[in-house]
Amino acid sequence: MTRQQFLNRLRNGLAGLPPTAIDEIVADYEGHFTEGASAGRSESEIAAALGDPERHAREMKAEAGIKRWQTERNPAAAAGAVFGILGLGALDLIVVIPFLTSIGGVLLALYCTAAACFGVGAAGMVAGPFWVVGAPPSALIVGGLGLMSAGVFVASGTSLAFIGIINALVWYGRLHMRVFRPALETQGGA
Amino acid sequence: MVETVQVQLKKGVLELCVLALLSTGDAYGYEIANRLAKGIGMGEGTIYPLMRRMQADGLVETYLVESPTGPPRKYYRLSASGRTSLADQGAEWRSFSRAVDAIVGSAA
Repeated sequence: MTRQQFLNRLRNGLAGLPPTAIDEIVADYEGHFTEGASAGRSESEIAAALGDPERHAREMKAEAGIKRWQTERNPAAAAGAVFGILGLGALDLIVVIPFLTSIGGVLLALYCTAAACFGVGAAGMVAGPFWVVGAPPSALIVGGLGLMSAGVFVASGTSLAFIGIINALVWYGRLHMRVFRPALETQGGA
Repeated sequence: MVETVQVQLKKGVLELCVLALLSTGDAYGYEIANRLAKGIGMGEGTIYPLMRRMQADGLVETYLVESPTGPPRKYYRLSASGRTSLADQGAEWRSFSRAVDAIVGSAA
């Protein structure tokens, strides 16, 4: 592989990161080629010693996804972190997808329950005293408020569970990519 | 099996090695990659993702220095938290390697 081929493959692999980050990373490797050349090494020698450019790109993208998840706790960042790690092959898709789907289903059901509790509680509190004959209005209002707070409670608990699950996946994926996967690939490549 | 253990061990202590190396003086990427490739047989390319992560974690800082041969070189130096991390990880490594020595030493 020539210097240009290596850098092109690296740049393509990094697509999706902010352009400044891509330029910085490519410049790091470009500098490595320059230094290597002045030390008298050939381009293909240097490229071989550097290893697989796509793999380095995937590792840096996954790392960027994890960083984003650590600062922004939202579903998009969570998806980015999980897919970044999936891209490394650190998590097995066949194992992870059914797991994520079932967990996602449970979480979604909990959110729906929370929303329903909140809605029914609000309706009961506001409209109950006019519609329901025979029940004391104060009981309806208190009951409605209770249902609403139960809804909020379930929703926040579900969010915490969601964050915990993503963190667990990130931890597991990082463990694999840091320790096991590079170990296998270094042997294969070197 | 022996090879796998070795590579995993290297990977695990790579960050500690970079911290230790930089504690003896600032260095640029190629130097770090070269030293670690010669010293513990790491793939040279693994250094750059690692340096980016360490920089993002605030363990190292960078600055540019004009080079006689080409474009400016990006030098890395330890930050204050990098020094703390070196002390912590170094102590952990020493106690761990002593413990392993005590068990493996006489047997292997």
